[in-house]
Amino acid sequence: MMEAFDVFVARYYHVTFMVVSCIGLYMLIDSANLVKKVIGLNIFQMSVFLFFVTAAYREGAGPALITEGGGPYANPLPHVIVLTAIVVGVSLTSLALALVVRVYSEYGTLSEDRVEEVMANE
Amino acid sequence: MSFTLEIALAVFVVLTAVSAALLRDVLGAIVVFAAFSLGMSIIWVILQAPDVALTEAAVGAGVMGVLFLLTIAKTARPSYDKVVESVNFKAVAVVGVLLLLLLSTVPALPEVGSPDSPAVQERVDGELTPYGYYVQMTPEDTGVQNAVAAVLVFYRGFDTFGEAVVVFSALVGVLVVLGREVER
Repeated sequence: MMEAFDVFVARYYHVTFMVVSCIGLYMLIDSANLVKKVIGLNIFQMSVFLFFVTAAYREGAGPALITEGGGPYANPLPHVIVLTAIVVGVSLTSLALALVVRVYSEYGTLSEDRVEEVMANE
Repeated sequence: MSFTLEIALAVFVVLTAVSAALLRDVLGAIVVFAAFSLGMSIIWVILQAPDVALTEAAVGAGVMGVLFLLTIAKTARPSYDKVVESVNFKAVAVVGVLLLLLLSTVPALPEVGSPDSPAVQERVDGELTPYGYYVQMTPEDTGVQNAVAAVLVFYRGFDTFGEAVVVFSALVGVLVVLGREVER
């Protein structure tokens, strides 16, 4: 039992990634407010970044600033992918929020249930 | 960096995520989300990813917060008498099953910071891996020290071009979606 616990403690960032991604998913499923859904999407996305950056890390490594005879370094490739993904994430968030503003101007509410009600009545 | 600090940060990040999920007030959720981003950017520093940490702090906690606040300002911030959202047990069950599935893969993953982790092997069977190539050849190939910058604009510049295309399309999308309102 103790050994199984140690396995999880030694991989604490992986466990954090899994827990946080599930919280983000919960927000996506459950939150009635559309803005909170977008926040949930961002939390989910950020947890995946944690998985990538954890994979790139190595005990005693420095950041990937290459010097003669230096090292070891963290893997720069996942960092680049995450940098790209952060910027893409901001683009997606801004588009999603623009759609939320539009939904509000059409239906006068941010609640998913109310929007569905109004659509059913039309 | 001490292990205690890392665990404390992981707990902080999980707690802020939970409070973002449970707070009814949207403004509160946005503020907690900004704190979550800040915690994440400190984790990036600990994981030796300063470039990611800077972007995260500027974009995640900064620009993203402003975008959310602007949305709240343009729409509505419903007021509730309850502070905390009631928990939807069906959704918790679905998410719990997924969490258990994910957790069952944990023993197969390399330990955090393990030198045997596949992503940080310079050579596999004597062959140079992409990681090995980047950390050995970057100064020679590109003349810069920062391997992250070198990969971003030199080795994988085409991906960065794709990213710029995405940003442009999103901008066009935002203008199209919001532009129709101005016309009416």
